[in-house]
Amino acid sequence: MHFDFTEDQRLFRDSVRNFLRSEITSERVRGLWESGPDTALWSQLVELGLTGVTVPEEHGGLGMDELDFVLLAEQCGYVALPEPLVHTALVAVPTLKEIGGGLAATWLPRVAAGDALVLVGLAGWVEDGDRAQLLLLERGGELHAVDPDAAELRANASVDPSRRLFTVRFNSAAEAIAGTAVVGAARDRGALGAAAQSLGLAQRMVDMAVAYTGERKQFGKPVGSFQAVKHHMANVAVRLEYARAPVYRAAWSLANGHPRAALHVSQAKLAACEAAALAAKNCIQAHGAMGYTWEVDLHIYMKKAWALAGAWGDTGFHKQRVSDALFEDKLPIGAGATF
Amino acid sequence: MELRFSIEDERFREEIADWLADNLTGEFAAIRFRGGPGDEHMFPEERKAWERRLAEGGWTCIGWPEAYGGRGASIEQQVIFHEEYARAGGPGRMGHIGETLTGPTLIAFGSDEQRERFLPGIRAGEELWCQGYSEPSAGSDLANVKTRAEFDETSQQWRITGQKVWTSLAHESDYCFVIARTEPDSAGHRGLGFFLLAMDQPGITVRPIEQMTGTSEFNEVFFDEAVCGAGDIVGAPGDGWKVAMGLLGFERGVSTLGQQMLFQNELDEIVREAKRNGAARDPMIRQRIADAHIGLKIMRYNSMRTLSGNADDGSLQPEAMIYKLYWSTWHRNLGKLAMDVLGPEAEICAGAPYELNRLQSLFLFSRADTIYGGTNQVQRNIIAERALNMPREPRG
Repeated sequence: MHFDFTEDQRLFRDSVRNFLRSEITSERVRGLWESGPDTALWSQLVELGLTGVTVPEEHGGLGMDELDFVLLAEQCGYVALPEPLVHTALVAVPTLKEIGGGLAATWLPRVAAGDALVLVGLAGWVEDGDRAQLLLLERGGELHAVDPDAAELRANASVDPSRRLFTVRFNSAAEAIAGTAVVGAARDRGALGAAAQSLGLAQRMVDMAVAYTGERKQFGKPVGSFQAVKHHMANVAVRLEYARAPVYRAAWSLANGHPRAALHVSQAKLAACEAAALAAKNCIQAHGAMGYTWEVDLHIYMKKAWALAGAWGDTGFHKQRVSDALFEDKLPIGAGATF
Repeated sequence: MELRFSIEDERFREEIADWLADNLTGEFAAIRFRGGPGDEHMFPEERKAWERRLAEGGWTCIGWPEAYGGRGASIEQQVIFHEEYARAGGPGRMGHIGETLTGPTLIAFGSDEQRERFLPGIRAGEELWCQGYSEPSAGSDLANVKTRAEFDETSQQWRITGQKVWTSLAHESDYCFVIARTEPDSAGHRGLGFFLLAMDQPGITVRPIEQMTGTSEFNEVFFDEAVCGAGDIVGAPGDGWKVAMGLLGFERGVSTLGQQMLFQNELDEIVREAKRNGAARDPMIRQRIADAHIGLKIMRYNSMRTLSGNADDGSLQPEAMIYKLYWSTWHRNLGKLAMDVLGPEAEICAGAPYELNRLQSLFLFSRADTIYGGTNQVQRNIIAERALNMPREPRG
């Protein structure tokens, strides 16, 4: 029993963090809203090997797992990275691995090399769908491999301008390539990615609000010295700090095929998204009227957090999964079953 | 990261589980699942006998070093011990203050003589301790201690005069550790001493406080020239605050695990009740039970993470600052959930004049959780100022 990351995992996280924080500034994110995707940015992520982190070594990747990537996903959240990197590493690649066969052998090397983007759509739309070379789309509980050129994609403006959402219509003759188990696993990994990014987003909002309330003065004092403001921020800090462990626990369970991994994912998704939701609510309040403006960056991170709360299974879905597990007699809930 | 127990650890689990199954029988069957928070006043004599039985089996103070009579158990083994103890319905531990607070404090800060004198009695389950920190004017402002300690050169004894309050189980305890002012004109953290006092002496009066549960586990303790020897101060006169704060660090370590297992038993009882009376079909109740389950898992995972020596930068060095606020709020909500699961029946006492069932006393007792040991409001100030580095508020 050892609930901690390795030195290597931390060093990898640190180098990715440094890259993201210097490159993905809020100005850059706003620029991408205007310009659309920047191929140079995606190339940089490919050069760092990030699209191949979870691709097996025999297919040109780094052969790492969900636990290695979860810390990176957190950092992607911190900068609200508007690129499908978390989706690639945590959803598309593991799904291709599970499908296996020729599809995996064909596409995994291309994903690792940055020559192709493969995206999974379970919710009736796909983020960045127009950039993909292969779409894996759910219909009727089964997954279909769809050539984007043979499908009809329609762009939708999103409340979170960092998300480029496409609804897809595809030929009903497309053959199913995987069933409900693979669909469920894809949803769980997507939920883990959303949870990890939510941790980063919440941290970013806390950092902004702490900085702002330390500067902004009223009644001759920084507003951050007032207990009413402090208590708002302390509540977020507690919720955020305590949401990390369940996210890491879920990552470990997915990476190690724990039989209760889905339950652990639901715990993680709920804990992290609730932390980010509370961060958004309290940090905009701490910013006062400025937090409501387009000019102040806070909304970049709030909107991403709100969007992720509904992605890959919303609160109702995950809470139902937890309560069903608790009330079905098969789940041991007693003292010996805590880990 | 490895979130499985080793084969050796699982063997240890079998050992403690077997021992508990063999020993929590006969005279001890009646105290299974009894004596936890809100129920600590119950079965004191049986539970004292149980402490001695545990000690005979070598199951007290398992985390202490072997040199002091412990097993030097690893963190994993301590986790397993607490899990199996709770699963078997092991009664609330009367010896836990001595085992988890006095002992580690003396091991860290005490003299050889103090260790030789006090550790064996704790280890044997024969000497029970209580904690003399809070005073009528030293609650959230704990450093505002007024109790005085004067050294009498003639008798070579310390004389302690003052009052402590909210002292759990003082009426059952053999010893008390007390922070008192050794320098008469000092204020705040300076000029305090940390004393070890026998409770059975003419200078000490214990008066129970009747709580809104109708029961009394807290007490007022009055000191009127109570005495202890020259060697019964831990650290030097003036170092009391350092020792007292070191002790609070132990309080928030491994002992959290046992607490969480009691919480697990309470949650299990609520789930069973909800299944029995049909509340489990109410979607609102199901959601709240799911929330309670997740909250408990969150505490569990975080304790394991902290105990694994997590040193991740960028995090809040969390346990000490955060845990109290988290568990107290969670537990208070659990008490309310228990009443809502019971529905209208929740209002019917188990007996007259004021006999509460387990869930009723959970509900009422958990109202104290967000107050004792640092109110939620004080905890939030500390988190904001020390973890988030927000600007300090001027203090009077």
